[in-house]
Amino acid sequence: MNELLLMCTIAGRRAAIPAVEVQSVIEVDNITPIPGTPDFILGLTALRSQALTVIDCALAIGLEQACTSKDQRAAVVDIDGHLYALLVDEAHDVGEAKSEPVAVPGGFGEGWQRAARGMVETDGGPTLLVDIEHLVSGPLRQAA
Amino acid sequence: MDELLADFVAETREMLEQSGSELVAWEADPSDKKRIDTIFRFVHTVKGNCGFFDFPQLEKLSHAAEDALAECRAGRREPDSSLVNAVLAIIDRISEMTDAIEAGEELGTGNDDALIAALDADAEVEVQSDVAIIDEEVEIAAAAEPANDTKSDAAPKAPAKGVQRSIRLPVDLLDEVMKGVSDMVLARNDLARRLREAGEQPAIDGPFERLSAILADVRTSITRMRMQRLEHLFSSLPRLVRDLSNELGKQVMVDFEGSEVELDREMIEMVRDPLTHIIRNAIDHGIETPAQRLKNDKREIGLLRFAARQSGNQISLVITDDGNGINVERVCEKAIANGLYSRSEIDKMSDKQRENLIFEPGLSTAEQVSSVSGRGVGMDVVRSNIERVGGSIEVSSKPGEGTSFHLQLPLTLSIIAALTVGSGDQRYAIPRSYVEEIVFGNSSHVEFAQAGDRRLVTFRDKRVPCLSLGEVMGSETNEQCDWTSKTLILVRLASDDVFALAVDRVFDHEDVVVKPIAPAIMETRLYAGTTLLDDGRPMMLIDLPSIAQMRGMVGGVRSKPTIAEKAEKVEKSKAVPVMLFAGLDGRHRAVRLELVRRIDTISRDAIDIEGDRAQAVIDSEIMTLAGHDTGPLPDGRCRLLRLSDGEHELVYAVKEVLDAADVTDDVVPSEADTAIEGVTLIGGKPIPLLDGHAVFSRYRATKKVEHSLTCRIPEGSEWARTILEPLVQAAGYRIAGEDDDVEADLAIALAEDGEVRTSGARETIRLRPEPEDAGDDTIYRYDRDGLLAALKRIRTGRAA
Repeated sequence: MNELLLMCTIAGRRAAIPAVEVQSVIEVDNITPIPGTPDFILGLTALRSQALTVIDCALAIGLEQACTSKDQRAAVVDIDGHLYALLVDEAHDVGEAKSEPVAVPGGFGEGWQRAARGMVETDGGPTLLVDIEHLVSGPLRQAA
Repeated sequence: MDELLADFVAETREMLEQSGSELVAWEADPSDKKRIDTIFRFVHTVKGNCGFFDFPQLEKLSHAAEDALAECRAGRREPDSSLVNAVLAIIDRISEMTDAIEAGEELGTGNDDALIAALDADAEVEVQSDVAIIDEEVEIAAAAEPANDTKSDAAPKAPAKGVQRSIRLPVDLLDEVMKGVSDMVLARNDLARRLREAGEQPAIDGPFERLSAILADVRTSITRMRMQRLEHLFSSLPRLVRDLSNELGKQVMVDFEGSEVELDREMIEMVRDPLTHIIRNAIDHGIETPAQRLKNDKREIGLLRFAARQSGNQISLVITDDGNGINVERVCEKAIANGLYSRSEIDKMSDKQRENLIFEPGLSTAEQVSSVSGRGVGMDVVRSNIERVGGSIEVSSKPGEGTSFHLQLPLTLSIIAALTVGSGDQRYAIPRSYVEEIVFGNSSHVEFAQAGDRRLVTFRDKRVPCLSLGEVMGSETNEQCDWTSKTLILVRLASDDVFALAVDRVFDHEDVVVKPIAPAIMETRLYAGTTLLDDGRPMMLIDLPSIAQMRGMVGGVRSKPTIAEKAEKVEKSKAVPVMLFAGLDGRHRAVRLELVRRIDTISRDAIDIEGDRAQAVIDSEIMTLAGHDTGPLPDGRCRLLRLSDGEHELVYAVKEVLDAADVTDDVVPSEADTAIEGVTLIGGKPIPLLDGHAVFSRYRATKKVEHSLTCRIPEGSEWARTILEPLVQAAGYRIAGEDDDVEADLAIALAEDGEVRTSGARETIRLRPEPEDAGDDTIYRYDRDGLLAALKRIRTGRAA
């Protein structure tokens, strides 16, 4: 199974998002913050006439540090009819998965363990495959 | 009924298309259960629909096919190729009949009996010889052939009949197009902003305006595409009413009005259930039995009336029955018995409030739980359903004469009227239906108080709890909040609870397109949706009922009677609403509230007064200023009333906005002062009422919405550019650019140039260089009055 993946960097780690889920990769410039929402929801941004919910992937995984991104790259995904922009450190290329996602003994570490579907082999080495539905519901929902 | 028939035809067609592939698959494998189910559903639906219309042949055919298929489904019969053929022939015939129905032709007897016989034959086929089967197949073929013939005949006839051509589209596709148009509008707005920044560019502005106009038209049409006539809703009601009244032994007649009113498709679906419920109630509880009606001197047939009207972007729907009315006594008793209210609370209520008790949860007046209504689903559900789509419902009733339900529904689900407010450095939208009043925090009529940590505000002898939007949003705390600098929005919830919401600024009211938001944001329970501003930035729509509930602003059932007393007061004063203000000289005056569009606050620098001319700059727009001559302008910030007569706008300088009031007493005209309509008593004091007409006529307001006429002036003439152009522009014309290909309304030519390029205009003024009258309808180029008169004549002529 050669699933296509969008390679990216989240909190300095190599990560991948299934490419079929990604509509496009955009540069987020204007984010309208939404008071009262959890940290990992940065706000809304407009893409053409649609409002995207901007998610900071690092915070959504449950890490302390927010994404540090120079050009504010984000992957646009549609989950249950809602559009999200998943903000990552860097978005690279689309690559092929060379293996099924597998679990690693000992886990990937807190946060990552919950948000990852497993590790896949790619051209660039082992990469964590991220579960995007997990990302948009954030770390809090998971704890509850 | 035509509408229904068209629906039937369209539905049958659609199913035919869908079942087309199923039929082929079934033919390949007659034992395939799934296919049989699909085809069974099709003939079953056709049969069911035929019951509504008088198509016995169609019914007979579909019924026969249904029977045969039902046998197969039940496993009593094995489907084989002969059955498949027979069913296919019947379906072909149904399709052919559908065409005939649409074209309004006779159905023709055809070989229906043979087709049906083909179905029945099956059981015998197993024991009979092969020959019989062949015979049947021939028969079927024979039956199918004329069918095909008539079909090819009917096809060209159908459109010739002038049947309104329509197609069915998936709603998704419509939404897609709608989204595309919204995108275009945003792109247009962006472009508009850039054009504004770049300054006047006649060559671009003209086409751009045209583009805007076209876009606006397209947007309207798209919105209309989502609309459906109320007829669709109404047409299903007579049947419902007939069935119900038969069941209950009553006689009811239905009357419809305004079935041409259009409503969003989704909205129609949303009100269908509540409406059905109201009808059930009306027939079950409202309308009496024929015997009782005769005893009460009424016609024995009851009347149920539906009247719909459109007003702005609201639809009002009134459902009236001429039954016995609501038995308020019994409703009250029931409310007490069920522990909803105490006797003393009921006693304090107005009649209207008692009637509206029927919307309380846990109340059903039916003595017995009948199969029709009173099944625990009460009017409270109806109300909450209507309110969920942004509508409202009220009831009024006269004992012995009948009951009416007044429903107010928004035209669409997705566009709502909103008030845009600012808090912190963010903008939010608040649904306008909740907003009762807007008050400045520093107004002398507003007093703040504190009870515990709860802020209270007293306004017009009413003490209501106060929330700061900034605090709700977490951008500031109650301690650092400077209440007097805020603007207070008095919010009245559907439950009649009132509270004040303090915001930094109120911007404007506008219709916003609401889009859903992600579940994670929904969880905050602060927002109901999102919308995009003109510049493409998102803005959140605030969920007021939810915030009120989280903050405990919903007092529950017990607190309502205190507001009840107030409601009574309001009802008594049916009067002209006015706004009280203090003029710059400090004297109190009033202006009709309808004239006031909004209140602006600007700094003194933005006002420019020179001689008789006074203007104010608001949001980079120059507006005529009035009222400045009554006294000195304040030094710092100026408060202005923006008055509008629908077409023109001007601003009126005031010292302070005091209050809104109702004029109940007569207005005594004043001969001496023409600037006022007269003097009236408000709260026992004489207050002069500003004459809107006089203000507008005196300060010839800048025309805000105007389609300016275009004028072509001689090209390449310096005199025309430097002298003529400003004069023509001042007369209200737009100068057409050289590349402007549109037909100008007017062209001005110089007589010495001869016949040059005046063809592209509807009117022409020719100017001559000498003062002497040459007698050729020309105007001397420095005859200012003559020229202006000519310009004015053409302009008024065009505008008329």
